[in-house]
Amino acid sequence: MDAVRAGITLLSAFVIPLILVGFPLYGLYKRVPVYESFVEGAKEGFAVAVRIIPYLVAILFAIAMFRASGAMDFLVAALSPVLGLIGFPVEVLPMAIVRPLTGSGSAGLVVDMVNEYGEDSLFVKMAAVMFGSTETTFYVIAVYFGAVNIKRTRHAVAAGLTADAAAALVAVWIVTLLYG
Amino acid sequence: MLNYIWTGLIVTSLVFAGASDARDLVLDPYRNGSALPVVLDFPEGYDPDVREQSVEIRIDPEAYGRLYGTAARPQASYQGRLVQGDAGQVLRFDARASLPEPLATIATVSRSNDQELQGVLVRFGPHGPAPSDSQMTAAGAVRFEPVRFVKLSAISAAALDFAGTAAEIALGLIGVLALFLGMMKIAEAAGIIHVLVRLVRPVLRPLFPDIPANHPALGMIALNLTANVLGLGNAATPFGIRAMEELQTLNPARDTATNAMVTFLAVNTASVQLVPPVLLIALMGLQINQLIFPIIATTTVSLVVAIVASRLYQRLRAVRASDPQRADSAVGSTPPRS
Repeated sequence: MDAVRAGITLLSAFVIPLILVGFPLYGLYKRVPVYESFVEGAKEGFAVAVRIIPYLVAILFAIAMFRASGAMDFLVAALSPVLGLIGFPVEVLPMAIVRPLTGSGSAGLVVDMVNEYGEDSLFVKMAAVMFGSTETTFYVIAVYFGAVNIKRTRHAVAAGLTADAAAALVAVWIVTLLYG
Repeated sequence: MLNYIWTGLIVTSLVFAGASDARDLVLDPYRNGSALPVVLDFPEGYDPDVREQSVEIRIDPEAYGRLYGTAARPQASYQGRLVQGDAGQVLRFDARASLPEPLATIATVSRSNDQELQGVLVRFGPHGPAPSDSQMTAAGAVRFEPVRFVKLSAISAAALDFAGTAAEIALGLIGVLALFLGMMKIAEAAGIIHVLVRLVRPVLRPLFPDIPANHPALGMIALNLTANVLGLGNAATPFGIRAMEELQTLNPARDTATNAMVTFLAVNTASVQLVPPVLLIALMGLQINQLIFPIIATTTVSLVVAIVASRLYQRLRAVRASDPQRADSAVGSTPPRS
């Protein structure tokens, strides 16, 4: 396990330099005007960033309002008896709900939980596994669909949230199995 | 679906904020208009002609509990300043003071320009014998500004705040986007993407049956997934955006997601990563070692669920009806896909 980890860490340290040096070098070898190509592509950076602003504003402000209103606490209180039936601990429910909505919010939640339950507690481990194993679904949707001006997202939200729910359940189950 | 979730979030926040504020109006947890009794110690003596002097504020815990009807208790004493103003004497708590509820909430409304909790000092008078000549102790009560509609102002503030944050996040991406999009242009011109497509085709083709076999979208998706797996979030986003742009070239409708786009997005929200995010390592420290295996196992399950869910949902009648590629074939411009 440790060897695999070391290998992955090494690999991730090398990938970006490899891209930044390897692509232009290979390009030169293929007689591509690398500098012109780079600048041509890089021009897009600004346009893409500006294009995603409306999508990001729409998502982030709605979620910020929802969090500020205290509706989140109510949701947790309302869902906890239901989830108690399947053995899902109430303490990590806020994490399961916040994770798909906001990245900074869920990071803050991990900090809160470390302070409240201690680094070594099962709840913190579950929350950390949830944090590490999924992405902020709504942010990803805003950025990726925003970049190509997709407004009708069809079943993307449903699929993303299904995967998030699965991740939350598996995180609880596997942490209990290993450390419970 | 996003329409309903989005509207739902906004309407729910308004309903909850309104309900919470209505309850506050009835229960009056901030005791608007009442004054909180305090005892003031002047370590350097009290001089009525000085505009501003430092003071130590003591709050009787029992009186505090009685006034606000709470179990929270204030600290033994707080640093503060007494300021002579046009409207009388104003007592300011040090901005770094950690205040109990409901004072902490009151402080968000009743505050000076320097973010200090402040209130008008009333019933100011001597309090027992002074411990020494140079010191002085006085009693009084502080009346804070009335607190109303906390949650309604909070949700408006949050909305305005995060609208700004959203633009900052987007603009903050410009540099990294430019760097990697530039690199991608070189990769395309040099044929690297083409080589990559041939490499990953056997694996990715079954996941994205709608993408033609030699299409560059497969190469971009491969780069995005590689960056994700290695925990390189900064690089993954530009690659993912390029992948989306390539998928968009296959899309007959400009504003509607194709099945391939949704699958790709679901894979990304499930975040296949073998290296835990830097932020989590920073938060958890060495504990992270114990979590590597559970994280990899969980992310793998969520990846499989994401792919299966996106493929299952696309068979639902409502979802099928909005498929841009199906609508295209219904018009008859291309033969129907099997």
